[in-house]
Parts: sequence; structure tokens; C-alpha cells
Amino acid sequence: MAKWIIGIVVVILIGVGLWYSGVLGTFMTPPAPVQQTATTTPQTQQAAAQPEDGMSANNDASDAAITQDTAAIDAQMQGLTTDSANVDTSLNDKSVQ
Amino acid sequence: MTLKQFIFRAALLLGLITLTPALVLAQTSVTTGVNASASVTGTSATVSASTKITATLAKAKTRGDTEIDRRTAALTDLNTRVQAMQKVTDAFKQSLSTTVTSEISALATLKAKIDADTDAATLKTDLQSITTSYRVFALVLPQGRIAAAADREVTLVSMMSTLGAKLQARVQTAGQGGADVTALTAALTDMASKLQDAQTQAEAAVSTSAALTPDNGNATQMASNTAALKAARGDIKTAQADLVAARKDITTVTAGLKAVAPASAAASTTAQ
Repeated sequence: MAKWIIGIVVVILIGVGLWYSGVLGTFMTPPAPVQQTATTTPQTQQAAAQPEDGMSANNDASDAAITQDTAAIDAQMQGLTTDSANVDTSLNDKSVQ
Repeated sequence: MTLKQFIFRAALLLGLITLTPALVLAQTSVTTGVNASASVTGTSATVSASTKITATLAKAKTRGDTEIDRRTAALTDLNTRVQAMQKVTDAFKQSLSTTVTSEISALATLKAKIDADTDAATLKTDLQSITTSYRVFALVLPQGRIAAAADREVTLVSMMSTLGAKLQARVQTAGQGGADVTALTAALTDMASKLQDAQTQAEAAVSTSAALTPDNGNATQMASNTAALKAARGDIKTAQADLVAARKDITTVTAGLKAVAPASAAASTTAQ
């Protein structure tokens, strides 16, 4: 009987240890919302919980927040236009002999 | 011999004795003058040729320096952009930055060598090595630019997804209030589809270009690299078009929300 009790205590202690070290927490993480599940390559990483540059708080859907978010997106869109043009330029560069 | 004849002969002899040194001097003078002139002309020609060669070397060096400076500026600008990338892993960013920095360093070394070159043959070889290093530059620059553009696109996908969730909450609220939100829901659905495709295209662009290596003069690999880079550029363009379409969907939804919901009702809505 004592062996059973000791065994149960050991199992409980191991379980508490795993929980405390975060191993169990890794498997208990809830899945991301559908809109955040876009796949990434090994070169990319998921967005952090912090709002992107210029964006309002993630849980703020007011008119002001939407206006702010739209402005931040437009700024990035302009940056993308520049980035895309730079791709073209880099591919069209010619070596001078 | 009469007295007259003696005096004439003596005068003639005296005259010859007197004039001979002058004639010799005159001859010497003319000869020396010609020789001096010839010598000066030769020196002038040598100096002129030397000046011409020096000018040619300087011109070639300037041209080489200009080419190196242009590439260094492009790579430096790329490195700044790489540091601002948000969605790639730190390891990928570091790897890209290291490659760019190495190329900048190699070009700086080459420029210093070119500037120090004193003979035409060495300078010619060094100038040709700009073209050799161009094989690296021609790959590294578009690789980095594609990665930067893809990073921006993934960033935009994330931002628009966040805004999309907020808009969806607002549309849902408006629908529950009795408004017809069919068009708005369709716009949100289209937006989600475009964002998904943009993400896929951006990732494909990086995957296609990141693993390429310099062709080192190999024509087959050069053609393969060029094709891969152009395909990656096509992916970037497609993703960009997706994002532009998604941005229009945002405009459709925000305008629609203003039309169906009183402004006061939307002042402090919380997204789910």
C-alpha cells in the first residue's frame, strides 16, 4: 500500500514539475484565430501580440482606431511601392565593362 | 713676287686665319642648335606620352571608383532596409546583412587597390574584377530587395488582418442592428482571400530567391538565377496587387459602415 502511495506522489510531483517548467503549457496553447493562421516560411515569424507600427490597440474597433489603422496601412503601402520599384531596379542593373 | 703680290697673299692668309674660327663657331652653333632642338622635342614627346598615360589611368580609376561607389551605395541602402525588416527571423536578417556587409567590404578593398595601381596592366585586371564581383552584386542586391519587399507584404497582411477583424466585428454589429451588410460581408470575404494569397506569394518569392548562389561566370546557372529572380519578382507583384485589392475592400467596408450605422454608435466598439 505504501508503494502505491509513494508512486502516486511521485507521479504528482513529476506532473507539477512539468507544469511549472512550461512543458505542458506548450501543448496547451490554444490555436490562433482563423484570421491569424496564415502560414509562414522558416524565414518568417508570427507577428507579436503588440500592435504593428502606427496601428491602434488590437481590441479597439472604434472609428478613430479604424482611421488610425488605415493611415498606418497606407504608409506601409507607400513603402511597398518603393520596395517593389527597388526590386525592379536591382534586376535591371547592368555591369559596365 | 712683287711687293703688291706679297701684300695680297699675306692679307689673304691673315683673312683666312681670322675667319676660320668664326666659320667653325658658326657651324657648331647651327649643329648645336639643331641638336638642342631635337633633344627638347624628344623630351616634350616623352612628357606628353607620359601625361597621356597618366590621364588614361586616372580616367580608368575614376570610372572604376564610380562603379564601386554606386554599388556600395546600393548595398548600404539595402543593409539599412534589411535592419528595418519586421517579419523575418533574426537569423535570416543577420545572414542577409552579413552577406551584404561582406560585399561592401570586398568592394572597398578593391577600390583601394585600384586607387593605388600604378601600371596599366594591373589596373586593367583590377577593373575587370569589378565585373567579376558584379556576379555577386547582381545576385545579392535583388535577393535582398525581394526579401525586403516580401517582408513588407507580410507585414501588411498582418496589419490588414488585424483591421479586418475589427471591421468584421463592426459589420456583425451593424447586421445585428438590422442593416443590410451583404456587400460588406462580401468585401470582407474577398479581403481575406486576397490577404491569404498575398501571404502565399510573398513567401514563395523569398523561398525562390533566398537559396540562389552566385553563378561565378557559369552561363547555365546565370540563366537559372535570372529566371528564379524574375519569378520571385512576379510573386512580389502578384502579392502587391492582392494587397491593393484588399485595401480597396477596406475602403468599401468603411464607407459601407458609415452609410449603415450612425456615427455615434461606433465611437467605442471593441473587437472580439
